Amino acid sequence: MVEKNYALTAVIYIFLAVVFAFFIGPILWLILSAFNPNASPAFTLPSHFSLVNFKKLLVPVGNVIPLQWILNSLIISLASASIATGVSILSAYVFARYTFKGQGAMLTTFVILRLVPPIVIALPIMILYKWWHLIDTYTGVILVLSALILPFALLVAESFFRSLPVEYEEAAMVDGCSRFGAFLRITLHLAIPGITTIWLLSFVTAWSQFVIPLMILRNPALMPGTVGLSYFFGEYGRVDFGRLSAFSVLFSLPVVIIFLAVQRYLRRGIAGLVSR
Amino acid sequence: MERGREKTKVFDGSNTSTGRLASSSFLDTLASFFEGRGAFLFLVPALILIGIFVVFPVVWDVYVSLTNASLVGPSARHYSFVGFYNYVRLFRDFLFINSLKVSFAFTVLSALIGQAFLGLALAMISRMEGIRGKMIVTTIVFIAWVIPGVVSGYAWSAVTAQQGLIASILSLFGYKVKYALYFTHPFWVIVIANIWRGTAFSMILFTAALEGIPRYIYEAAEVDGATPWQRFRHVILPLISQAILVDFILITIWTFGVFALPYMILGPGGGRGNAGQIWTLYIYFKAIDNFDIALAAAASNVMFVIVLALIIAYLWSMKHFRRW
Repeated sequence: MVEKNYALTAVIYIFLAVVFAFFIGPILWLILSAFNPNASPAFTLPSHFSLVNFKKLLVPVGNVIPLQWILNSLIISLASASIATGVSILSAYVFARYTFKGQGAMLTTFVILRLVPPIVIALPIMILYKWWHLIDTYTGVILVLSALILPFALLVAESFFRSLPVEYEEAAMVDGCSRFGAFLRITLHLAIPGITTIWLLSFVTAWSQFVIPLMILRNPALMPGTVGLSYFFGEYGRVDFGRLSAFSVLFSLPVVIIFLAVQRYLRRGIAGLVSR
Repeated sequence: MERGREKTKVFDGSNTSTGRLASSSFLDTLASFFEGRGAFLFLVPALILIGIFVVFPVVWDVYVSLTNASLVGPSARHYSFVGFYNYVRLFRDFLFINSLKVSFAFTVLSALIGQAFLGLALAMISRMEGIRGKMIVTTIVFIAWVIPGVVSGYAWSAVTAQQGLIASILSLFGYKVKYALYFTHPFWVIVIANIWRGTAFSMILFTAALEGIPRYIYEAAEVDGATPWQRFRHVILPLISQAILVDFILITIWTFGVFALPYMILGPGGGRGNAGQIWTLYIYFKAIDNFDIALAAAASNVMFVIVLALIIAYLWSMKHFRRW
C-alpha cells in the first residue's frame, strides 16, 4: 500500500523497544525478586528460583500472617462489588426504562461523584466513623467502598440496559408478564454478561482501594492487602524485599487476570467517554 | 414511548395468556406492587448509600473546615465554629502553597505531557500496519495501569533505590548514583512513576478515537502527497481534538487524586524538602501526622472545588463538541 519508509520504521522499532523496557522493568524486578531467596532492590537474576518468599507469607508480621490481608481483601471486595452491582442494577433499570423529573440532573451527579478523588471522601468519613463506631469494622469499609463504586457501576449498567431492546420486554408483557416480571425474566437474563463485567470491574476497583481503608482500618488484623503492604513496607527498619515482592505478585495476580479478561469491555467503555 | 407501553398493558389486562412466562404468578403478584410509581422504590437503596457515604461526608467536610476540630486532644470532642479562619491559615501555610505548586507541576509533567504524548504515540503505532510486537508493548502498558497503585509504588521505590534498576542503567553511562534517587530527586521519581502507571488510559482513549477515523481519509491525504507529519498535523490531529480535550481533563482529575503511588515511594511528607508533596499527601499529612483535621478539611474542599470545575468543563465539552 505504502512504499516502505525504512528510516521511520527503524525509529518506531527503537521507540517501541525503549517503551517496552521502561514498562517491563519494574514488573520484571517484582517477579524476579519474588522468586529470589536473597532479594534486594538490585535487578539481578536469582541464583536459583525458590518459593521460600511465598512460604514466608505464612509467617506472622506482628500478630498477623500476611496471607490474612489477601483474605481480608477478598471479603471486602466480594461484599462491596456485590452490593454495588446489585443496587446499581435496580436503579439503572429505572433510569433506562422510565423518564422522570430530575433524571438528567441525577445522572450528571453520578458522573461528578464518579470522578471525585477518594481522599476527599476518606477524610470526613474517618471523622464521622469515629462517632458512628465504624472505625475498624468491615461494615464501615464495605459500605463506603460500595457507595464509592456505585456511581460507576450505575452509569455502566444504565447504558447497558439502554442498549437492550425494549421490544423483548414488551413482548413478554403481551404474554402476560408484569413489567417487573419482564425485567426479571427477560432483561436481567440478557444482561448477564454485562452484569458480570460490572461486578468484575467493581471487584478490582475495591481490591485496589487504598486511602479509605488506610484511614479507617487501624487494626492490622483487619487490613486489606493494599494497606497491609504499606504497613509491611513502612513498619520495619530492614525491608524484606523478597517477602514483599512475593506478596505483591500474589496480590496483583487476580487484578491482572480479571482486567485482561474484561479488556474488551473496558476499551469499549473508554471509547464511550469520548462519544456519548 | 412510555405511553405506548402503558397501552400494551391495558390491552393485556384480560390476563388470559397462559404462556410460560406467566407461569410464576407469585413473583408477578409481588411485582404488581412495583408497577408505576412503585418502581421508584428501586432508586432508594442507591440514593441512601450515596447520600450517607458520599454526599453527606463531602458536605460535612465543609462544616468541619469552619471549626477548630482536631484529631486528638481537647478540641477533638469539643470544638467551636471559627468561620473562615482555616482558609486564611491554609493560604498562609508555606506547605500548602508548596503542595499547590508541586501538584500543578506534577500534573502538567506526568499527565498532560508524559501520559498524553506517550499514549498518543503508542495509539498511532498500534494503528499502523506491519509493525511487529506492538501487541506485547500495549499489553505491558495496560498491565502497568491495572496493578494496584500500592504495588506499583513499592516496585518504583525499589527500582529507584541506590542499587536499583535505574541506578544500574545510569552507571552504564558512567553516572555514579550515591544515594537513592527517590531521596535525591523525589519529584522526578513520582513524575516518571506516574507516567509509567497512567499512560494506558490515554493510549486506549486515543486508539478508540483513531479507530473512529475512516480509512479513506488517510488514503485521500496520501494520494494528495502529504508527508507523514502533514498527515498527522492537518488530518489526524483536528479529527481527534475532542478526544484530546477529554483525555486532558480526565487525566488531570485523576492525577490530582493520585495517592497510593507517591505515598509508597515518598511517604506523606513527600520526600526531601517536601519536593514531592502533592496535594493528596498534604491533606493526609495534616490530618494524620499533625492531627489538624480542620485544616486538612479546608484543603480538601479547595481541591474538591477545583476538581468540580474540571468535571464541569468535561461535561461541557461532551455537550458542545460535535463528534468529527
